[in-house]
Amino acid sequence: MDSKIREYIDELLKQALKEGFSEAEVYYGSDNSMSVSAREGKIIEFENSDSSGISFRGLYNGQMGSADTEDIQPDMIPFLINLAKDNCKVLEVKEEITVFEGEKEYPEFNGFSDDLAKIDYQTLADAALSMEKELLAYDSRIEAVDDSNAIYSSTISYLQNTKGMVCETATNDFAVYLGCRAKDGEDVQTYGKSWSYGTRAEFDAKQCADIVGKHVIAKLGAEPVDSIKTPIVLDRFAAKSLLAAFSGAFNAEAIQKGLSRLVGKIGEKIADEKITLVDEGMIDGSRLCCPFDSEGVVTKKTVLIDKGVFRSALHNRKTALADGVESTGNASKGGKNGLGISPANFHFEKGDISREALFEKMCNGIYITAVYGLHAGINAISGDFSLMSEGFVIRDGKIAEPVNQITIADNFFDVLMKVEALANDVEYFSPEATHIQSPSLLIPDVSVAGK
Amino acid sequence: MLSKTSIERILSAALSKGGDFSEVYIERSKISSVSLLNGIVEGAGASLDMGIGIRILEGDKCVYVYSNDIYHEDKLIQMAKNASASLSDAPNNKTIYLTPEIEYYSQKYEISPTSVSKADKVFKLRKAGETAKSYSDLITQTSASESDLERDVWIANSDGLYVKDHRCRMRVSITAIASSNDDKQQGYFAPGSGEGYEFFERLDLDELALKAAKTAVVMIDAKPCPSGKMPVVIGNGFGGVIFHEACGHALESTAVGIKASYFTGKKDKKIASSIVSAYDDAKIAKEWGSYEVDDEGTPSTTNLLIKDGILNSYLIDKIGSRRMNEPSTGCARRQNYAYAPTSRMSNTFIANGKSKPEDIIADTEYGIYAASMGGGSVDTSTGEFNFAVNEAYMIRNGKVCEAVKGATLIGKGDEVLLNIDRVGNDLKLAQGVCGSVSGSIPVDVGQPTIRVSEITVGGQA
Repeated sequence: MDSKIREYIDELLKQALKEGFSEAEVYYGSDNSMSVSAREGKIIEFENSDSSGISFRGLYNGQMGSADTEDIQPDMIPFLINLAKDNCKVLEVKEEITVFEGEKEYPEFNGFSDDLAKIDYQTLADAALSMEKELLAYDSRIEAVDDSNAIYSSTISYLQNTKGMVCETATNDFAVYLGCRAKDGEDVQTYGKSWSYGTRAEFDAKQCADIVGKHVIAKLGAEPVDSIKTPIVLDRFAAKSLLAAFSGAFNAEAIQKGLSRLVGKIGEKIADEKITLVDEGMIDGSRLCCPFDSEGVVTKKTVLIDKGVFRSALHNRKTALADGVESTGNASKGGKNGLGISPANFHFEKGDISREALFEKMCNGIYITAVYGLHAGINAISGDFSLMSEGFVIRDGKIAEPVNQITIADNFFDVLMKVEALANDVEYFSPEATHIQSPSLLIPDVSVAGK
Repeated sequence: MLSKTSIERILSAALSKGGDFSEVYIERSKISSVSLLNGIVEGAGASLDMGIGIRILEGDKCVYVYSNDIYHEDKLIQMAKNASASLSDAPNNKTIYLTPEIEYYSQKYEISPTSVSKADKVFKLRKAGETAKSYSDLITQTSASESDLERDVWIANSDGLYVKDHRCRMRVSITAIASSNDDKQQGYFAPGSGEGYEFFERLDLDELALKAAKTAVVMIDAKPCPSGKMPVVIGNGFGGVIFHEACGHALESTAVGIKASYFTGKKDKKIASSIVSAYDDAKIAKEWGSYEVDDEGTPSTTNLLIKDGILNSYLIDKIGSRRMNEPSTGCARRQNYAYAPTSRMSNTFIANGKSKPEDIIADTEYGIYAASMGGGSVDTSTGEFNFAVNEAYMIRNGKVCEAVKGATLIGKGDEVLLNIDRVGNDLKLAQGVCGSVSGSIPVDVGQPTIRVSEITVGGQA
């Protein structure tokens, strides 16, 4: 990290104490990224960025107030401190939490790959151009590759406070996104997918193109089914989207404020005993590790649902203090007054049968491969959802014709109770892995609206 | 802040390796927010944002670089040169002379929102929360919040254009949550304006608080919505989200310019029922989605998109203009400097028709009345869209009956526009935030009450 930034942070903390803050903390984040998009055999977009920002929070008059800036100039410090002070003056929360003195020890973690750091414009351009070329060659019905993007980014997160805590991590990432349009007569279908790699060698343009090509061609000819109550297999990617949309229900702040259906449910059965839900900051060998949270607390493995029983919410230090428990290390930037709660690596433990075995178990029903409109079609508190979906008919345990223009509607908490089986198709180490994951789920009796 | 001559040098450096057009966008923003939960101030935020974006075009190829550092000309010139590395290597040794600065006021405030103390804002928000709470014992939580932004932007390009624009926006929200057993339902209003603090002073927040509480209480008793295809009457105001999703996005040159929209090549052709006319109008005074000049420095327009069912105009930005051989419609927008501008909507609405809203309901034997809509999304290639209904009722024999919950409407953009068979005379606009390739931007949606003769309703029943 730039020594000028360190000097700025030291000065900011010093002046904050002088201006009457009893303690203070600074989070600095910087992000450098480079992205390239190809279309029709040419590079059509190139984007390069270099951005950074400071988040300040501090205790003044018994209130933890915050202010942010992207203008990191020493002469702006008094202005930033005053903004935070003004916020303290209006806040009315009984604040018992202070900034964290830091852990005795932090785990060894290197999230920065020297191999990825070698990525330059040409690497990205080659990746984007080759994915487009491979996908266009996959099938003559692929009309256009509207998105063939390759992105390299590196970030620095740095935390320092007046209690002497200093934490820093640097990470980098290489990701691609490939999306296309297929056309057969008047029928148009689209599909897109992203991958993220730990090394350059893992990237294989043809493999990406084959996956996207196969999926979009399979969608051609899709039609709605009749409106019906039916069992479904919710594909791992659709199940992940649903879990992500309702992950806020496990946030201790939401529970403490009565904004989750899990209020008062600790120790109670809230899911079928096949369901175990965990959050873990460090997964050995995974590129998705985060060693400490936004307060500097070391991340842990938290079992939220243990064989159907609700055992723990996700906490930061403030909500943990209120509940008389330890922080689970899930503080995140960006919540109210600079600090919220979010999962690290959040997933249902996988089952022991394959996805194909789920189809056979279901025999007849619908295999839902994607759900849309999660920002609107859910009631995050009650758990109700009604979402535009697509997928395939499953007949006699086998994938049959494609389906689109349908909705699936149910309640997330009811789904937890009635899940019949979980597949074994979660991959924690593949380029498809994301921070929230789920295996494919077999769910009985779901409302489907179509024709 | 960079001087005019510094900007000229950066624009020139950006053309040092090919590129036929360069542009600099600089912004400085002050953002403030305060929020209450159950009458207690629990959130207060403030930030100072700034940055610069440098864009280079070569034909329809776009290079974009951005940084927070608007102080160091040398560094920015180097960034501009690095960015041009991907271009054709035919230097365009153009010396840039900017015109004198033209100053715009996309929004003019009477009272600067960031100059008003948060305590003053809290007073009115707290009262609104209390009003919502007092509506019914079923109301268990209330939240109220205010956020505002003041932003100055400078846009300069290699054609010599040099403009400064002053922008200001304010948004207020009130939410009431009703609880019964495990169910929780909410009512929500979030009016916004392209004005200053005077908007907040004028706003009848208590009235909105009561309406929000009423919605929450009605919906807590609601039965699950039926599923299947049926007629749907969509209420005015935020109901316009259907046009925004089903049609607006597919008229943007981002999609049309690369033939990825189902409205490509449909200009002067019938794409909607003949009773439908629609506008994208960035010039409505003081409106949330309005502006005087777009993020490429082009003055805003009133754009008639659909006239009596016939497609009249697309939404075209500079790159779209090059791809489509049509002039820009002044619709290039972005969330901030971290995004290159693209064609976007401003205040987009279906114009008034002739039917009275009550007659539309009376003419409907069976269907759903979607009184208040939530958000949605669309795939502009296939036209498939979805959006959520926040407050819905059954219609039977021409009468609005019991409330139903959990409805989502889905369909295809090109089909739904043709299926609009009634347009009311009660046009109203509503404020929202639209997310797309160039980030999240303030937009208005709007419509009078309309009826769609048949659309797929997804419910739990």
